[in-house]
Amino acid sequence: MSTLKFSKTHEWAKIDNGTAVIGITDYAQKSLGDIVFIDLPKVKDKVKALAQFGTIESTKAASELYSPLSGEVLEVNKDLINNPQWVNESAVDRGWMIKIKIENSTELNNLMDEAAYKNFVAKEAH
Amino acid sequence: MEPRKTPLYEKHIENNAHIVDFSGWALPIEYTSILKETKATRVTCGLFDASHMGEIIVKGAQALDFLQALTPNDISKNKPGQLQYNVFLNEKAGIIDDLMVYNLGDSFLCVVNASNINKVYTHLCKVHLEGKYAKPENVEIVDESPEVSLLSLQGPNSAKIISEIFGKDINNIKYMHFVQLNFKNKNIILSRSGYTGEDGFELYCPNSIAGSLWDSILEKGKEHGLCLCGLGARDVLRIEAGYPLYGHEINDDTNPLAASLDWVVKFKKDFIAKDKLKKSEITRLRVGFIMNDRAIARQGYGVYSNNKIAGEVTSGTFSPNLDKFIGMAYLDKESSKIGTPIEIKIRDKFYKAQISDFNFIKPRTKRGL
Repeated sequence: MSTLKFSKTHEWAKIDNGTAVIGITDYAQKSLGDIVFIDLPKVKDKVKALAQFGTIESTKAASELYSPLSGEVLEVNKDLINNPQWVNESAVDRGWMIKIKIENSTELNNLMDEAAYKNFVAKEAH
Repeated sequence: MEPRKTPLYEKHIENNAHIVDFSGWALPIEYTSILKETKATRVTCGLFDASHMGEIIVKGAQALDFLQALTPNDISKNKPGQLQYNVFLNEKAGIIDDLMVYNLGDSFLCVVNASNINKVYTHLCKVHLEGKYAKPENVEIVDESPEVSLLSLQGPNSAKIISEIFGKDINNIKYMHFVQLNFKNKNIILSRSGYTGEDGFELYCPNSIAGSLWDSILEKGKEHGLCLCGLGARDVLRIEAGYPLYGHEINDDTNPLAASLDWVVKFKKDFIAKDKLKKSEITRLRVGFIMNDRAIARQGYGVYSNNKIAGEVTSGTFSPNLDKFIGMAYLDKESSKIGTPIEIKIRDKFYKAQISDFNFIKPRTKRGL
């Protein structure tokens, strides 16, 4: 069964059998506004925990995408490049960005579960 | 410093606006979505709070002489009941601010950018005291900005809403003309103008009635698809229309001829820095561009032609009405021809684009009425 984990930079990671699907949270898409551009890595690229793996732009501003975990990119949501609005419409489903093979599972300890993330967002909003 | 609130701030909060600090003002960047608001303004209509804008009155026997000396457009052609686009020039022929001048008959209302109110007011007062262009006793300058609110209703359905509130005659007002009306026993200015390239109206009123005016427009607007719009949509709309924005396309060092504002410069009259402007050599020009790829080219990004730096982006956005990534830039004259292929460097990658006319969406204002 998959579990959902969250980073302080508002990315989510769906953990399943040594892999993680990564995207940004609903809270993040709401504060960014209309997403119009996404730049993602290629399959086989390496991503590092806390390091930038791509760029997302809304009508308001450009922001970095930070990977919650380290690993090799297995899949990229190529359809998202031409349909960036999917991040607004469905941040944790159709708005997924990359799937990686988790390199170091101890990094999972740095991430929050859903309840902790909700608390974190509530604090940040104030 | 705490950003200032317009008299409509509470209305924005009631409508769940996303508030940001825009040059010292707490204003909505969007209510729901910049893209939705931008589209609605061109299809039905949008209502904007532009109360942050500055209103400076110039009056007195030599008010016209005074303003004529400080600006390159010919204000004598701007009859009572009309408004005209103009710029205040400094002694280097750079642009202190761009403005709309309303001829009120016995005085002139200068509508200036929020971020420039103090700069313009100080400049006017300084020139006034020097007495070079008019006798100081014949000119009076009053900054009314703190007392005046500005509402802007833009889009094809605007005229229906305005005539339901103020009567059918309103439809006879031509583009760049205005009337003074009574609303809640206060005097308001209603002009057919705006910053979107659509048919639309701008309403100047005392702060005390801004809320009731907002509510009236909102109420009548319900049947006409009115959409509340924030500054985000205002910016996309003005880029689509190719209008310059102070701090982006124009600033204290911008030559108005380079900014493609030739139509504002009338060499037949006298004005500050006229000789400098006449002799100036224009090397770069303001142009529009359309991206071939999906990418927003933002202010400051380098523009390349034949692998050489050829200019700089001043504004860039995604246009939901054209479904294209567009923007404006200053380009070396030789690379500024419409259709020229260019590349824009965005975060260390080059993206293809081409030079275009900056009026991406042709004006649909009521010029010919």
